[in-house]
Amino acid sequence: MRPVDETLLEIVDVLSEQGWDEVEVVHKTGRSRSHRFRPGGFVSSLRREEGWAVRSANLRRSFFYAAAGSPDPEAPWPEGDGLGFRLPSSRPVPPWKEPAELDAPLVGETEAQALFESLDRELDTELPGARLVQGHLDDGSSEQQLASSRDIHCVVRQRAAMLWIEARLDARRGEPGRSAGAGLELMARDARRFGPRELARRLADRLMVAQRGVAPPRDRGEFLLAPDVVVALLEALAPLWLGPEAPRKVAPFIDRTGHVASRAISLVDDGRLAGAVTEAPVDGEGQPTREIMLIDQGVYRQPLLSWRQLPELVEGHGIRRAEAKASGCSRRASWRDLPGPGPTHLYLRSDQTVGVGTLLQDLARGYYLLTTWGAVRFDPTSGRFAAPVTGFSIEGGRATHSVRAAWLVGSVSSLLTGVVAVARDLTFLPRGQGLIGAPSALVKGLELRGAP
Amino acid sequence: MTVDPTEPLNQLDVRGIARALSQIADRPGDLADAFFERAEVVELPPETCSPGLRMRREEGLAVRLLRGGNSWLAARDRVDRDSFHDALRRTARAMPRAPYPLPDIEWPRWSQPLEAAEVQEFPSRFFEALRLRDTEISARLSIRRFHRSLRVVGSEVSAGVETESFYSLEAESQEGRRGLLVTSLIGDDAQDAAKQLAARLSRARSARDAAPPDESEGVVVLGPAATAVLLHEAVAHALEADLLALDGHPEGAIGVQLGSNLLDLFDDPSDAPTGVKRTADDEGFPVVRRCLLRAGKVEQPLADAQWAHRSELLVAGAGRRGTRHDVPGPRSSHLHLVAGESTDLFADAEGGLFFSEAERGRLDPASGFFTLVFPWGQRILNQTPGPSVGRATLRAHVSDLLHAVRGVGKEVHVAGAGWCAKDGILLPVWATAPGIRLEGLEVGP
Repeated sequence: MRPVDETLLEIVDVLSEQGWDEVEVVHKTGRSRSHRFRPGGFVSSLRREEGWAVRSANLRRSFFYAAAGSPDPEAPWPEGDGLGFRLPSSRPVPPWKEPAELDAPLVGETEAQALFESLDRELDTELPGARLVQGHLDDGSSEQQLASSRDIHCVVRQRAAMLWIEARLDARRGEPGRSAGAGLELMARDARRFGPRELARRLADRLMVAQRGVAPPRDRGEFLLAPDVVVALLEALAPLWLGPEAPRKVAPFIDRTGHVASRAISLVDDGRLAGAVTEAPVDGEGQPTREIMLIDQGVYRQPLLSWRQLPELVEGHGIRRAEAKASGCSRRASWRDLPGPGPTHLYLRSDQTVGVGTLLQDLARGYYLLTTWGAVRFDPTSGRFAAPVTGFSIEGGRATHSVRAAWLVGSVSSLLTGVVAVARDLTFLPRGQGLIGAPSALVKGLELRGAP
Repeated sequence: MTVDPTEPLNQLDVRGIARALSQIADRPGDLADAFFERAEVVELPPETCSPGLRMRREEGLAVRLLRGGNSWLAARDRVDRDSFHDALRRTARAMPRAPYPLPDIEWPRWSQPLEAAEVQEFPSRFFEALRLRDTEISARLSIRRFHRSLRVVGSEVSAGVETESFYSLEAESQEGRRGLLVTSLIGDDAQDAAKQLAARLSRARSARDAAPPDESEGVVVLGPAATAVLLHEAVAHALEADLLALDGHPEGAIGVQLGSNLLDLFDDPSDAPTGVKRTADDEGFPVVRRCLLRAGKVEQPLADAQWAHRSELLVAGAGRRGTRHDVPGPRSSHLHLVAGESTDLFADAEGGLFFSEAERGRLDPASGFFTLVFPWGQRILNQTPGPSVGRATLRAHVSDLLHAVRGVGKEVHVAGAGWCAKDGILLPVWATAPGIRLEGLEVGP
């Protein structure tokens, strides 16, 4: 890893000499290109961002100071207030190789325009009359340097692109269906990986469902859940996987053999997952990232914990503090923000031997649910969930009609133990400060309704 | 506050900057501007959190060129001659071979220490007010003080320095979070804010076990704060030129009878509370008292420079930016619903519902379907708000909703404010409004 700039070390020294026992300095620089396609015009912007932040504490007080520009050892430090805190110690970081795409040029205006135009064309081919109404492509790279009084010195570079698109399909006089809109949000390390044809197909499916879908009758059956739906469910159930209180919350769903889910479920968080968008050797506090198995083939192992959360872990239900592992999972949204624990790449392991097509073909009678249209509700007291979903009704592996304004409901236990199979199409979606990933999953034992 | 972040903005070489911008706005109809910004946020988290006092100071600039429907923007987190030159060069479609000399930009670093006595004193006032109302509530309080100064220098117009100062208060209890935006925490203002926030927590607590109302279509009365949320989400957003453009030409909305003829609604940033009043928008155009609805009919949609440039019917002055890094867009700042004639909104409303607060609202631009969520409410009995009801949602097509207004209260109140998060850009929005009465709408759990 490249050494950090001298100015950061100077700030650590200056504040240490002023009586601050714990000092951490972060300096972040970034550049990004943003391209917006919107009615009547195209907007292109280039940003160069630079900022730095210090958090310091002694036994009696603490402060956080952040400013734009380059680090300044003579900044007007606040006096401090409130409680003191402890910073993490330096820990060995396993060898790390930076991904190759970090130095690729940012997506230019012409490339972005071509992507949006191509998307619009492909969309009209897939579904005549459908049009792209808005698009937003952000492509950026950043470098974060961190130094602390506890001998943490690290430099991390990252690269990410985010695409958000919205399409419309207007109702035609004399034809069934209403005017409808649909959107997609995606993230990749390299913006050039966004394929217009595949995106147009996904948007077209969503538009079709939104325009022609009908509210379903109360029904049961098999449900093939697309990655978007599984990700929304994982996110809603986050209290069961994240933080020191999680074992207490998940306890009602664990059976006598320690199983919380079917054997098809293995849930992992891995900040250094090879090829994943934000893979990095350390987190926002300089702690080494690692793979942590949260659920291993249905057996609950432990929640995701940062170094600070590990001592607070609630023991019991087969979870012991001595056996649990902390992980580098503290993330900083920007230099303005304090680090906070959360998923890095939290994902449901895929099964490389199973294709989505196979799962769909084998669906004798049920539903293929593509996406959610609102927030998933999870009531920890009753242990039940309700997910607002849209998709297709399936018979003999074929879509018979589209379904909208539907709710997939059931107990969390039924959901977790009802997963029969997962496919190979692992897809990550940006959620909060991290990414949550899932493949398509085939589930039994749930119910579809018109209301939650 | 001893910090005067406006000083370097007042000393900008406006002529030199405008001359430099004129080089890149070299075609008829072009518009170029430079946006300079200095901002400070002081945050005091709940007392059990560390670090104790949090301070964020930032500054930067952005240069933008508008040509036809397209625009280019380059933003930097520094303010100096080199950064301005770099932003200018990257925004320009072509630079002249012999450019004008660049202006000097004097921009001192932040040097003043933090002073936030009013922020540090507020928790004791708040917890005292809470104890007086309800001794059983435990809450966590966080306070943020925002100060922003900005100046826009354009190839066509240049504005003076604009400043915004306000406080965001957030209290969290078992019943959830309650927030409040205020423009002062000095003296009696702090006392009022403390009482208001404590009252919100206390009311939410008293309604915590109340059952949500059954699906019904009776009378619904909204207090000023809930009315403000409804108007922001259902009218202001719906009349933003960029959102109107998703369905055609924004001018097409002018003259449309969007709601009941009882509704006279303005957006007037110049009449916002002291501390957040504006004379120019974030594009340097003078703000106007913009009539959004006159007798329920659309009169003037919200437009920024880009949309006003393209239509003789649209007026600039409502362009807002979250920060220098954001492209401006049309947004409301301070909504004002004109008082009506109704002396008693609760008359003949037996069994109806009263909501003083709305948690959030959402308009689906594609379908026009609107939802407004209330954290709690009260059943109307004997022409007054009576027993509590739990969380409720109002669902209607936006046109049906606004035509369902059957009464507008006589007394206008500062109806609170909130954060608007359109396109992920957080902006404070303010409102003054009376209560309103709606009839024939579906409200349910």
